[in-house]
Amino acid sequence: MSAPLAGVRIADFTWIGAGAYTTRMLADLGAEVIKIESATRFDTLRDARPFKDGIPGLNRSGYFADRNCGKRSVTLDLKHPQGLDLAKRIIAASDIVANNFAPGVMDRLGLGHDVVRALRPDAIYLAMSMKGATGPERDSRGYGLTIGALTGVQHFTSLPGRLPAGTGTNYPDHIPNPSHAAFAVLAALRHRRRTGEGQAIDIAQTEPTIALLSPLLLDHAVNGGGPLPRGNSHPDMVLQGVFPCKGADRWIAISLRDAAEAARAAALLGLSEASAEALARATQHWDAVALAEALQAQGVPAGPVLDARGVLEDPQLAARDHWARLPHEEVGPTVYNASPIVMDGLPRHPSRAAPLLGQHTREVLENMLGLAPSEVDELAAAGVLR
Amino acid sequence: MAGLRVVEFAAPLGAYAGLLFGGLGAEVILVEPPGGGPLRRRGPWIGSRRDAEASLLHAAFNAGKRSITLDLSDRDDIERAQVLAERADLVIAGGSLPPALAHEALAGQASRLVTLALSPFGSKGPRSGWLAEDITALAMGGMLTLAGYPDGPPLAACGEQAVAAASLFGATAALAAILRAEAGGEGAFIDVSMQECVAMGQENAIQFLDLEGIVRKRDGGRQRQAGTGVFPCRDGHVYLMAGGIASNRFWGATVDWLVEEGLDGSEGLRDPRWLDSKWLNQEEAKRIFAEIFEPFAKRRTKAQLVAATSARRIPLAPISTASDILASAQLAARGFFVNRAIDDGRVLPFAGAPYQLSATPWRAPNPAPRLDADRDDILRLLEAA
Repeated sequence: MSAPLAGVRIADFTWIGAGAYTTRMLADLGAEVIKIESATRFDTLRDARPFKDGIPGLNRSGYFADRNCGKRSVTLDLKHPQGLDLAKRIIAASDIVANNFAPGVMDRLGLGHDVVRALRPDAIYLAMSMKGATGPERDSRGYGLTIGALTGVQHFTSLPGRLPAGTGTNYPDHIPNPSHAAFAVLAALRHRRRTGEGQAIDIAQTEPTIALLSPLLLDHAVNGGGPLPRGNSHPDMVLQGVFPCKGADRWIAISLRDAAEAARAAALLGLSEASAEALARATQHWDAVALAEALQAQGVPAGPVLDARGVLEDPQLAARDHWARLPHEEVGPTVYNASPIVMDGLPRHPSRAAPLLGQHTREVLENMLGLAPSEVDELAAAGVLR
Repeated sequence: MAGLRVVEFAAPLGAYAGLLFGGLGAEVILVEPPGGGPLRRRGPWIGSRRDAEASLLHAAFNAGKRSITLDLSDRDDIERAQVLAERADLVIAGGSLPPALAHEALAGQASRLVTLALSPFGSKGPRSGWLAEDITALAMGGMLTLAGYPDGPPLAACGEQAVAAASLFGATAALAAILRAEAGGEGAFIDVSMQECVAMGQENAIQFLDLEGIVRKRDGGRQRQAGTGVFPCRDGHVYLMAGGIASNRFWGATVDWLVEEGLDGSEGLRDPRWLDSKWLNQEEAKRIFAEIFEPFAKRRTKAQLVAATSARRIPLAPISTASDILASAQLAARGFFVNRAIDDGRVLPFAGAPYQLSATPWRAPNPAPRLDADRDDILRLLEAA
């Protein structure tokens, strides 16, 4: 059985976080993704740490790599009329055109929705700016961290009385935005297959995350005042928390959902009752993994807090073959996340490592657009393919 | 999603997936155990009520679905569930089901059926039998270690993001599999692990270890690097990101702003060392920046700071509270919140379309169903089978 999106082609103008991860998700599902950059307007995530061996370089960023594996990179100078023309020819041969620029940027490049629709009437045009294409604040710009601030993630992921902590990451970029965007694109593909009609998708990079936090906003609207950040506690459980274990900065997450689970945890730890203070005193003598195993054996949800090394060495993720080591032209084999989807007909690992800047320009122009090698040479000499 | 039917066996895992399908027009049947599914037993709640219709989690994530209770320990009810599932395009299974409802058993009668199976750790592997709450998966998928204050325990992301991640990746996979089945392919069994979905949210932590040998830690309440982090202001907090995502993208614009405002010491931020990420990461750099910026920020409101920076395209955002979000002019202009009644009759603003599709728009769903509200309709559907 083939991959679900085999035969679907994406002209990919996305960059940095949410956009690039969206097209990576679609590549993982079998789509052919052609990432269009230029030497002056490259994906700035290429310039973000970590770099292989700590040495900066446009082809050395691991942050970029994990969001762009499975894609091919074409460099075109879109300010050059011939570069723009080549981009239009790629668009005309694509099913989906994706960007996550601020509203108006694609229009100024000469690749706005009207232009795309004229080139490819059934195109699916995905735009995912920070606050959407409409509204008084549509020109706002930002990143996952500022989106986390805007959407309540930063405020609610905190302890009362402390500065808002947040997730420590550009969280909306990694999960809420790309997965909502990919779902919307797939819905549009289904509509096109049934009717022949393309459409435009406008995603504000704040709205998917706010949709996920809907219950917290409802709580505020119904019950007023709060809700306050609640740290690791859970109001519907007897006790939930993250407790210290043996070693430097080792922790375990424990959830005691009812009195029976609390009693079993207390018995295991030799406590008369499972209060937070008593648990913390007892857990610090345990290895986090050993304690999680012991609590799980008692039917209590518990898990060690794994740092990057712990996650990389985790036996369960290993059993699912989660980590891929993909060979890269410049930095050699490095670690990538595989898609978390295990499905019939879907290759377990990305098809290729992240592309070098412009690595596939010639290949795409010759094989997809049918240019002769000499034509590509001439375009390169004229500075169009930078 | 016209013409698509989804049968969702009630569980925390998968509830948001069902909501996404329903929002774009699929018919979603929620099969609940007698007494109600698990979302009805978790808050937030309507006041002090704790009955099966009082959960706001249920009100939010089961909207637009139709409810039938079936006892999956009863042979007749299993048979009913089986017929329902066989007549669906997608079965969402976020918990364990009897063997008669396993994908292999159903696929014999329905070769194009897609089953989305969601579980804490996946269907196979040494820990596939482990129990998990949201926080367990955050811990074991690597997100928990990145969040929280350095002087305390790691901190769980708000709003059950591990559960959400499983639903989100699962929904996308399921829709892709449906497209393939509709194009003449076969159905599929999709195996989603909540832990593995969380692992997609570690940002660059794995690569920091792999490429630079650095294990990232939590830094909540501190500047990530000088000029990037949380700062108190007159009416709350703002997040300033002078560095952008690479190290120094907005530094020049930020310093121009602070100099124009006449802040003491701001001229010194023009020194070339402030363009070096090694310097920006040092505690001394963070301290100097805070001493210059904080007294200024504390005299201004979130709105004033946003206005000053947005004109200069410096990424700075208010740290929104629930009231800020509900009062947002931008969200209002986009019609994001949609009014809907909850069980006590009050009409409340629910989060609406997470995306705007021009040809097949998201539609505001009906309120979440009362338990077993659609039993007769759904049983008639079975008889028609």
